Amino acid sequence: MREHFFWGGFMKKTQIFISLFAFVTCILLSTNLYADSSESVVTEGHSHEDVKRGERFFKGLLPFDREYSSCVSCHNLNRVDTLNWNPSAMDIAIKYVDKDFESFQASVMNPVGVKMEASHVNFDISEEDLKTVKIYLDNFAHTGVPPAKPTHYNLILFLFLGLLITWAVVELIFIRKIKLKFIPLIILLGAFGWQVKMIVTDAIKLGRQENYAPDQPIKFSHKVHAGENGIDCIYCHTTAEQSKSAGIPATNLCMNCHILIREGTNSGKFEIAKVVDAAENGHSIEWKRIHNLPDHVYFSHAVHVGSGKLDCMQCHGPVEEMDIMEQHSDLSMGWCVNCHRDTEVDFGNNGYYEHYVKLHEEMKSGAIDSVKAADIGANDCMRCHY
Amino acid sequence: MTKYWRSLDELNNPVEFKQNEIKLELDAKRAVMKKASGSSRRDFLKTFGFSVAAAAVVASCKRPVDKAIPYLVKPEEVTPGMANYYASSYFEANEYCSVLVKVRDGRPIKIEGNDLSSVSQKGTSARVQASVLDLYDDARFKTPLKRGEATNWEEIDSYITKKLEQLNNDQKKVVLLTSSIISPTTKKVIASFQEKYPNVEWVKYDAVSASGILEANQQSFGTALIPDYRFERAKVIASFGADFLGTWLSSTEYTKGYAAGRRVLDKGDEMSRHYQFESGMTLTGSNADVRVPIKPSEEKTILTALYYQLMQAKGFMTIAAPDSPVDVKGLAEDLLANEGKSLVVSGSNDVNTQLIVNAINNLLGNYGSTILFDRPLNTHQAIDADFEKVISGLKNKEIAGVLCWGVNPVYNHPNGEEIKALISGAELSVSFSDRKDETTAACHWVCPAPHYLEAWNDAKPKKGVFSLSQPTISKLFDSRQVQETLLKWAGEEQPNYYEILKANWEENFSGLQSKYSDSRLFWNDTLQKGVFEAEPTAEVPVYSENGLENALQLGNSESQGWEIVLYQSVALKDGSSANNPWLQELPDPIAKISWDNFAAVPVKWAEENGVQNESVITINGIEMPVFVQPGQAPDTISVALGYGRETAGKVGDGIGKNMYALASIKNNAKQLWLSGADVKTTDKTYELALSQTHHSMEGRPIVRETNFDKWQLDPASGNEIRKEHLEHHVSLYPEQEFKGHHWAMAVDLGSCVGCGNCSISCQAENNVQVIGKEQVRNRRIMHWIRVDRYFSNDAENPDVYHQPVMCQHCDNAPCENVCPVSATPHSEEGLNQMAYNRCVGTKYCVNNCPYKVRRFNWFQYVQNPEFDYASNSDLGRMVLNPDVTVRSRGVVEKCSFCVQRIQEKKAEAKVAGRMLEDGEVQPACVQSCPANALVFGDLNDENSKINKLFKNERNYHLLEELHTLPSVGYLTKVRNKKA
Repeated sequence: MREHFFWGGFMKKTQIFISLFAFVTCILLSTNLYADSSESVVTEGHSHEDVKRGERFFKGLLPFDREYSSCVSCHNLNRVDTLNWNPSAMDIAIKYVDKDFESFQASVMNPVGVKMEASHVNFDISEEDLKTVKIYLDNFAHTGVPPAKPTHYNLILFLFLGLLITWAVVELIFIRKIKLKFIPLIILLGAFGWQVKMIVTDAIKLGRQENYAPDQPIKFSHKVHAGENGIDCIYCHTTAEQSKSAGIPATNLCMNCHILIREGTNSGKFEIAKVVDAAENGHSIEWKRIHNLPDHVYFSHAVHVGSGKLDCMQCHGPVEEMDIMEQHSDLSMGWCVNCHRDTEVDFGNNGYYEHYVKLHEEMKSGAIDSVKAADIGANDCMRCHY
Repeated sequence: MTKYWRSLDELNNPVEFKQNEIKLELDAKRAVMKKASGSSRRDFLKTFGFSVAAAAVVASCKRPVDKAIPYLVKPEEVTPGMANYYASSYFEANEYCSVLVKVRDGRPIKIEGNDLSSVSQKGTSARVQASVLDLYDDARFKTPLKRGEATNWEEIDSYITKKLEQLNNDQKKVVLLTSSIISPTTKKVIASFQEKYPNVEWVKYDAVSASGILEANQQSFGTALIPDYRFERAKVIASFGADFLGTWLSSTEYTKGYAAGRRVLDKGDEMSRHYQFESGMTLTGSNADVRVPIKPSEEKTILTALYYQLMQAKGFMTIAAPDSPVDVKGLAEDLLANEGKSLVVSGSNDVNTQLIVNAINNLLGNYGSTILFDRPLNTHQAIDADFEKVISGLKNKEIAGVLCWGVNPVYNHPNGEEIKALISGAELSVSFSDRKDETTAACHWVCPAPHYLEAWNDAKPKKGVFSLSQPTISKLFDSRQVQETLLKWAGEEQPNYYEILKANWEENFSGLQSKYSDSRLFWNDTLQKGVFEAEPTAEVPVYSENGLENALQLGNSESQGWEIVLYQSVALKDGSSANNPWLQELPDPIAKISWDNFAAVPVKWAEENGVQNESVITINGIEMPVFVQPGQAPDTISVALGYGRETAGKVGDGIGKNMYALASIKNNAKQLWLSGADVKTTDKTYELALSQTHHSMEGRPIVRETNFDKWQLDPASGNEIRKEHLEHHVSLYPEQEFKGHHWAMAVDLGSCVGCGNCSISCQAENNVQVIGKEQVRNRRIMHWIRVDRYFSNDAENPDVYHQPVMCQHCDNAPCENVCPVSATPHSEEGLNQMAYNRCVGTKYCVNNCPYKVRRFNWFQYVQNPEFDYASNSDLGRMVLNPDVTVRSRGVVEKCSFCVQRIQEKKAEAKVAGRMLEDGEVQPACVQSCPANALVFGDLNDENSKINKLFKNERNYHLLEELHTLPSVGYLTKVRNKKA
């Protein structure tokens, strides 16, 4: 009933304003989401100055006459796109936030492990300075990494095109200054067309995450494990051949090797220590999920790997070269369907396909030379959606 | 041709009925249109939508970050993404069923039948299927309670132990009040509890007991037991008010036997004849070949007359048989012709009636052939008189404490209010209930027990038949097994029921078998299989005529005025699962009413008094909505028990009326009928949620039937029209070819009893949502498989037909070619597919489906406070099957032949590199059908069962004249009426 009253006759007039309002609000909301900044939390007994001083020290602004490299030169403060094997400032901050200064000091000044021994050399840091660094890091652990500012090039371009359209319309109907009518007309059509194209391409990309490579809680490198050490995929992803999900290895599986291997060539002890810690203290490792199919898609690794004998790389790409794991394929429906059309079924060797009597006859008689997955219904809706 | 009708309105006035139906539909549509209010809103939405979409898109919104958290230490038996099945035992409301519990990633999500059990034989009932939802019930206790406030076990243990000791020292009696307990180990635990506290008396109380049978057998055979009824062996079955297919004793087992004794597929198959004498139309009565409506007061008279006639016929007696209100000559002849192959049962709780039944069965030589004593049933142990003694004991303060376990007398005893006061007035009152109920509300202490899916236990449903229950999930709440609680109070430090159970089995039961010499192996084997059967001991008790003479002479119950019959509804039974929305929404198999109980009144009386469906009458002052029930005996009204709960939880509270108040205690037993009731009509009306007229079939030969004698002459009898249809079928299109599988299902209408197990099994498997009374009334019930019920012939005593209807997966599907977005195409395996993510909700398919099996999601039923049933909380949603999409508002859904199960089995076969076996793929409805009425398989497999059934001459398809080429076949209904 309330709806009734609201959607009265004045609808048409207000329609455009409401739409405009919605448009602007959406943009503002989407930018606001990123803009929320957190207050700095100063731990008890320390002043704001300590934090500031620690920050300067960490960033290498203090002391002027140091002969060693600054902390930040190895331990990045912000999120970085490229791989930095060294623990980030946040990693360190989280690790030491609940520990006392002595252990922090020991680890900085008297490192153990090949990597750290090689890099933490000639450190000539006073205890006072180091204390402020610890205070800064503790504070940092509370405030968190400042969020990356999103770039809105797309949006700016979109708005600019909108302005162009408005101008062209106004020019065409009211001002009529330009004699050559086709100029504003072309601009109008071009700008509108471009806008539509932007929306369509972005809309198609919605929900797809090709090349998605989030920061993981542990700098686990597939390149080191699968590439350099040549571990078989199935060793860790144990259920790929039987179950729908390939399985993310349980922490105790990691410990099969890491019970002995406690120091990595690239990352030193820091990253492996996280696994050991998780296994020993019973924390779960909260990986970020990279390959996300929508809920209404049923995908079975068993059928593709166990029965179809597909190579993992075919969908997951050159995993053995990836330090940072990323989504290789776009996992779109078109991608699935195309592969089903092209992929030959192992028709002769798998007993299951005895069900397809007719196709076997056709094969024998030479009417067809191969059976593609799509020929036996791989592209039926209810193969994946139910 | 027989005229079939779905409701009385349709029978009496088909034209008006049709018009009315159309009008109703239009009204509903108008109501929807009103809400939509014209085009201005749509225009607004369009522009609004564009702006928002454009802005959102170009601002490139990111998907939320999903986490993938692996096990720390993966349990060996768990494979993420694959289900494990654990054998367990269901025993609630005196119903036993051996089950397999499907556990997916640590959550039990589905109950399946266990084919190794000789009792339930892979069958389940709707209640068993729905029990998995009870596990995730919001009304379960999260902690122990002390006078309604959360407390902890330490406080409870210290207080109650002290109190028990004190009462013991004072020599005051404490009653441990339980329902029937079939667990031998639990009995041992209770014995040791009693050893510690000799003042504790153990009393059993069942809401609907079998006192009458137990006491009659005590007199006739010297032991109070329920014999093993073998319906499959009987050629003539006569039931007097026993709803043995629905709720009586071991109904799943009886349904298996009954259906087996009546399945006629090949030449030479035999079929039993079933007589049913009853007042209201029960599920069993609806399946009878000969159904005789009688008043409950006449039951004993008729049995007496039958007894005399049989005696005379056998020459044992020359006295003239007393008059019987109905003619039983035909029955007597049939029984005499099948001596030793007949079976007479009675649902009465009156010991004298049961004594006569015993005499008749003895006379016919049924003991030892259709009624066996080697495996007596243990599921009903309570003698009603015992509980009456408890009431008087509480009244005169002889009993100072009550420990209630699995009983709810405040709700289901006629003197509930009085019992409530007595329990709350007792010095010590404890409830072990796992969820809210009326009796627990009266108790001071609540020591919640875990749900059976969280607990260890064993069961001995029959003598020599053992089974185990095992936890399938760790305890969701702070509960403790009652056995452990009792032992704790008995002074054990750390009682562990699992250890006790195991020790008891190794000590006492492993000796009963010879397969395993190591008792641990025996334990593991039984735990895996769920059941273990010892050799039956063949001790046949001797029949004696104790008490018979007295019973025959006692005179018959006086009949005056209205007689009210109280029955257990097939869905809710005694009402203990009233908070289960699946069961509440399951339509009554006969009336097709959900979410209410109702007064089933005779047709003639209704016509004479201007009473219609939804009129309100009062019965002894209780207002009840009316359902005009064809087949209801004159001067009787039937009302279901199990409704009208007050403290059941958000779903069950206030649904229907509690009719236990009308029960009475006569002859020391709870009688579920009364005579001389005061029935008055009123001007009021009450809306009932009928699913009956949802699906009009327009009077076409939907159900085809024949009689056994005709079938013997011509197996295609009743199905003649099929030939005609087949001749007329021509098509412009080439016939579709199925290269691999061609899935199909056969429904044997001769076997289907209409119990509704398939609907609930499907609901659990396919995440079918509960929509509530109002939406059911709006004809939007979501069940993917419904059981249509038709009446034919005489309105006073009609023939009834049950027909399960699911998506027919037509090879020429009318729905497929009207979809504008190709959301429902045909698969290479003959499935009519439904792609939810493609559906835009035009509902063209719904309208074009001649079978009306497509369901539209009018609302968002999940996570919507408007539909606060099971799917509105994280707890309730734990039951969802992760392999099936949860549909959202605006899409159409329907039966998929459980495609997820097909795909699962196919994947297994592919990975193993072998062919699928016949019967390997079983949709949820087929798997647990207690009547084996449903068969699923691959038509392309020459030797499959389904292929044979499709070639059977009884096979036909629904509306086959439309040439839709359904993949579901129906076998004609066969009855065995006397020629």
